[in-house]
Amino acid sequence: MSVPMLELDKVTIKFGGLTAVCELDLRIGERELVGLIGPNGAGKTTAFNLITGVYQPTSGNIALCGENTVGIKPHVLSLRGISRTFQNIRLFASMSVLDNVRTAMQGNRAQRVSDALWRGRAFRESEARVEHEALELLKIFNLDRFAEADGKSLPYGDQRRLEIVRALATKPKLLLLDEPAAGMNPTEKEQLMELIRFVKDKFRIAVLLVEHDMKVVMGICERIYVLDYGRKIAEGTPEQIRCDPKVIAAYLGTEDEDDA
Amino acid sequence: MRGKEKIFLLVAIAAAVGLSMASSIFNRYYLGIAVDVGINIILAVSLNLINGHTGQFSLGHAGFMAVGGYTAAKLTLVFGASVPPAMQPLLFLAAILLGGTVAAVAGLAVGIPSLRLRGDYLAIVTLGFGEIIRVIFQTSEFFGAATGLTGITKMTTLGWAWAFAAITVYVVACIVNSTYGRGFIAVHDDEIAASAMGINPTRYKVTAFVIGAFFAGIAGALYAHHKLVLKPDGFDFVKSIEIVVMVILGGMGRTAGVILAAIILTILPELLRPVAEYRMIIYSLLIIALMLTRPQGLFTFGKKGAVK
Repeated sequence: MSVPMLELDKVTIKFGGLTAVCELDLRIGERELVGLIGPNGAGKTTAFNLITGVYQPTSGNIALCGENTVGIKPHVLSLRGISRTFQNIRLFASMSVLDNVRTAMQGNRAQRVSDALWRGRAFRESEARVEHEALELLKIFNLDRFAEADGKSLPYGDQRRLEIVRALATKPKLLLLDEPAAGMNPTEKEQLMELIRFVKDKFRIAVLLVEHDMKVVMGICERIYVLDYGRKIAEGTPEQIRCDPKVIAAYLGTEDEDDA
Repeated sequence: MRGKEKIFLLVAIAAAVGLSMASSIFNRYYLGIAVDVGINIILAVSLNLINGHTGQFSLGHAGFMAVGGYTAAKLTLVFGASVPPAMQPLLFLAAILLGGTVAAVAGLAVGIPSLRLRGDYLAIVTLGFGEIIRVIFQTSEFFGAATGLTGITKMTTLGWAWAFAAITVYVVACIVNSTYGRGFIAVHDDEIAASAMGINPTRYKVTAFVIGAFFAGIAGALYAHHKLVLKPDGFDFVKSIEIVVMVILGGMGRTAGVILAAIILTILPELLRPVAEYRMIIYSLLIIALMLTRPQGLFTFGKKGAVK
């Protein structure tokens, strides 16, 4: 097998006495859509934060395209191609929809203070390009008509979509979606599933999806990892996961526990 | 859009210098206030980069101002006599830039260790820094200790003050209104999201501190050569608070509002002079009333970060 897009090798993180994630092995191939599920407190978001560099693992290795990423700051990882959305939407509240997207483009621009001050031709061209690209991106998601509106004034579902657009503006290789379906109604969930498939194909990226909603995860993921109490208890195709007794036990409990 | 900002800058500087040439027709008292206005615009707009756009709460602006003021004043006091009259403006320019540069270095020195702190903690550290600076000047014989520096030559004119005010506005507005500069606002809005989008929050915060301190230092240099006396207690934390109030009243992160607030809060105490001892009470009450009725800032017109 070629070098995976992302590889976690026996990754463990402890907060004091609590082991939040324990010896997690995880692989995501190029252009793969992988799900990460588990009951509340299973360590899904912690795993996200480990991959994006917010937390550093206590032990184990993480590699992006074969290159170690442990000890690298989140903003550098973003430039290397890992982008994400957040469970509780984190848009830039004082900015317009367009500016939210433009801001995410700045990392790849290498503009400097001096450019902004001198405002020469190169600067103006780069500004125009950024604006054009941001609008194009918004147009793909049908958000361009809101370009000048405050990001926070959008309906909830659109805010989620805008967060995905913003994440894509960094030109990622790997997109991490943290519970994108949270708070959505069934119709919106359908649309979201469409959207995630579309994003993956259109931008030719790998996607790691953390999600509670079984229908969403089973519906679109090619492979699924299941976490419980920080440990991986199963991995496989949606079919395999659906029938796995350990997964059923983790979600529904076992008969013994019911008696207890 | 082409070169619009540069034209604004040139026109503003030309207007400042032009007015300055004709300054003999104005009453000296009003002229003094006009210079104060220019200096306060520099202070408020530069603090706005740190507190408003970048969202870091600094209470140390008077400290940076003191560093710039003392540095520049010392330079003109030492070299003033040996420089021919025709070269005096150049000496003054050098003093202003040196004052700004030394203050910027101080900004870097405070910025780097403080960046692990947020909100209240950062405010306290910068407050402590401001006080340390003041005490250093107060105890240093070289800087005249408690008496301060006296006999500074009058060099600040309307032209100098307003030209530098225009430069400050230009620099802050241009930096913020760029793809690069949106990073400051991103750090203000959400640091975690900013770093997930490839923005280095530490770097932006240090940059804001250094640029803010640089202009505070320039304001200090202009202030020194305007008031002609530098006393350490002039740079205590009350002075920092005054500048913070201008930023808050103007609407954090809104350049046009902050400029207006700086103008009003400079003129207001002068207008209240006739009521003598009640002056500061009325001033304080007005500020309380304004904060209660307009907590988002007095002037919220215009886009955030924009000056148009």
